[in-house]
Amino acid sequence: MRALNNQIMGLVQNETEKMIKKKRFYVVLLVLLVLVPVFSYAQMKQAESKREKYGTDWRREVQQAITDNQNSLGSDRVPEEWKKYRQVYIQQMKYYLEHNVNPAAPGGVTFTREFLDNAATLFIPLLIMGLGSDIVSAERTTGTIKMLLTRPVRRWKILLSKLITLLMFVSLTVLAVFVICYLISGMFFGYKGFQLPVFTGFRLDGASVDLSSVHAVPQWKYLFMQAGLVWYVGVVVAILALMVSVLVRSTAASIIIMMSSLIAGNILTNMASAWTSAKYLFMVNLGLTDYLAGTPVPIEGMSLGFSLIVLGIWAACSLIVSFLVFTKQDILN
Amino acid sequence: MGKGSRVWKITGVVSVAATLMLVCGFAYAVSDVIFPVPPDTGSAGLENAASDERQVAPGNMDVTAVGDSLAKGTGDDTGSGFARAVSELLQKQGVDSKLVNNLGINGLTTSGVLPMLDEDGVQYALRQAGVIILSIGANDLFAGADQMTGLPDEDQLLNKMKQAEERFVKIVEEIRKINSEAQLVYVMLYNPFSDLEEVREQGNRIVQEWNQFAAAVMASTGQGLAIPTSDLFTFNAGRYLAEDHFHPNRDGYQAIAERIVQALAVTTVSGEERK
Repeated sequence: MRALNNQIMGLVQNETEKMIKKKRFYVVLLVLLVLVPVFSYAQMKQAESKREKYGTDWRREVQQAITDNQNSLGSDRVPEEWKKYRQVYIQQMKYYLEHNVNPAAPGGVTFTREFLDNAATLFIPLLIMGLGSDIVSAERTTGTIKMLLTRPVRRWKILLSKLITLLMFVSLTVLAVFVICYLISGMFFGYKGFQLPVFTGFRLDGASVDLSSVHAVPQWKYLFMQAGLVWYVGVVVAILALMVSVLVRSTAASIIIMMSSLIAGNILTNMASAWTSAKYLFMVNLGLTDYLAGTPVPIEGMSLGFSLIVLGIWAACSLIVSFLVFTKQDILN
Repeated sequence: MGKGSRVWKITGVVSVAATLMLVCGFAYAVSDVIFPVPPDTGSAGLENAASDERQVAPGNMDVTAVGDSLAKGTGDDTGSGFARAVSELLQKQGVDSKLVNNLGINGLTTSGVLPMLDEDGVQYALRQAGVIILSIGANDLFAGADQMTGLPDEDQLLNKMKQAEERFVKIVEEIRKINSEAQLVYVMLYNPFSDLEEVREQGNRIVQEWNQFAAAVMASTGQGLAIPTSDLFTFNAGRYLAEDHFHPNRDGYQAIAERIVQALAVTTVSGEERK
């Protein structure tokens, strides 16, 4: 048993060093270091123009947002699904006003929270996909797979070590997103805000909001929960990327497959979903943080438990496929 | 190997620690969403600041508009309506004024305003204002009416008007309770059908009756003003009405705003009475 552990540890170390040598993770960090300041700057400009209109008086701003949304509810041109979003939004904002809590107090922590809500379904999965898509196929493209497989190691151990390495980097990526986001946006908005309350627990029943289980959590706890949910999404995406990487020979093809399915998910969730069985697709279920924020689900009948199970089943199936194919397939070329 | 193994160690340790933390966060999030902690009733600490200190400073001329589509400014291509226009006209006269909030909602009736006045955000916006502009009633009287169908029959209308009048009194009382200092401006109704011969007569009568009632209510309210608008549209409907033949256009709103500003008690920034 110990020997087995050591062998796998060795393989994981080997894979980790390969991953670092490929500099893929540095690319992820670089992307964050470039993009987060861009977003922060844009957000700051927006905040400045708001401050011109509302000063520091967030209550007026929230009330105006409520009134504007109420006005759009009366319009027949607004699709029913959007109205549902807005009705929920109105009720949540009223709740914030009633409890005298600013839903978006400016600060690095708030920025991080909002950025993560937006990044959870596409940006972070794309980063993780970038790490995972070529983890097997690259060895094929370069021919090193033969060297790897001629070593006296069982094939499943090789794939397992790749999987473990990938999961390690998923955690590192999620952590890096949070840390970089906070550090950089803090330069623009200040580093405070960990103790500010955020409301969670809005239960949606169609367009009405059940407030009975709403409770305030300090923002740091909210970030903690968000990170956990984003991590779960990341793990599932990584496992799927691994499968595609096993199945498809070319790295380019595997990146295209993963990317298009992620983007398809974003498009599907934005469409009026009369097609209810779309909820069994993994890419529709990536918005786990929405359950925390209490935004309406894209398709009727979805809940956190449902999404977790759907994602879990997809991950389990792709693990089985990955290992079966990788251990059985012939390496030609 | 030395360097490689150091990188490996750092990566390994950091990623394992991060994973443990993220797993905890995940478990916590799942339990919090699926089995939420019942709200802690003792967490009233959040609410203690809610009863907002800031009373309106004397001479405050900030504007809050509340009511129907006229308050909102529907039909105005610039989107300002009379609320923003009033605040801008005041600024031009050297008065420190801003638009606090425009709470106008299309299609709002007197029965729609009353629950709104219980909302914290609405009350807050009203408390911040030195000038409150109210526009309401048209949807109670003309709901369902358009150029094609004309107005509903007389008895029904009188009945409707009685109920709307009662609610109107209540609305004015409520607003006064929320903010007793501000000047409360009621924008009286005009007959939107004055360019249509078949219904002009009936529309005029209803509007007249309502306006009389509203003017009396405002006169008996402290700091109350009732601004007439119907004369603007009697002969100038073409000039002041928007394409929908119902709402004022930019010029119409501007004309109403000018009337409001003329009627307001104004003190300049320096505090001097204006001549």
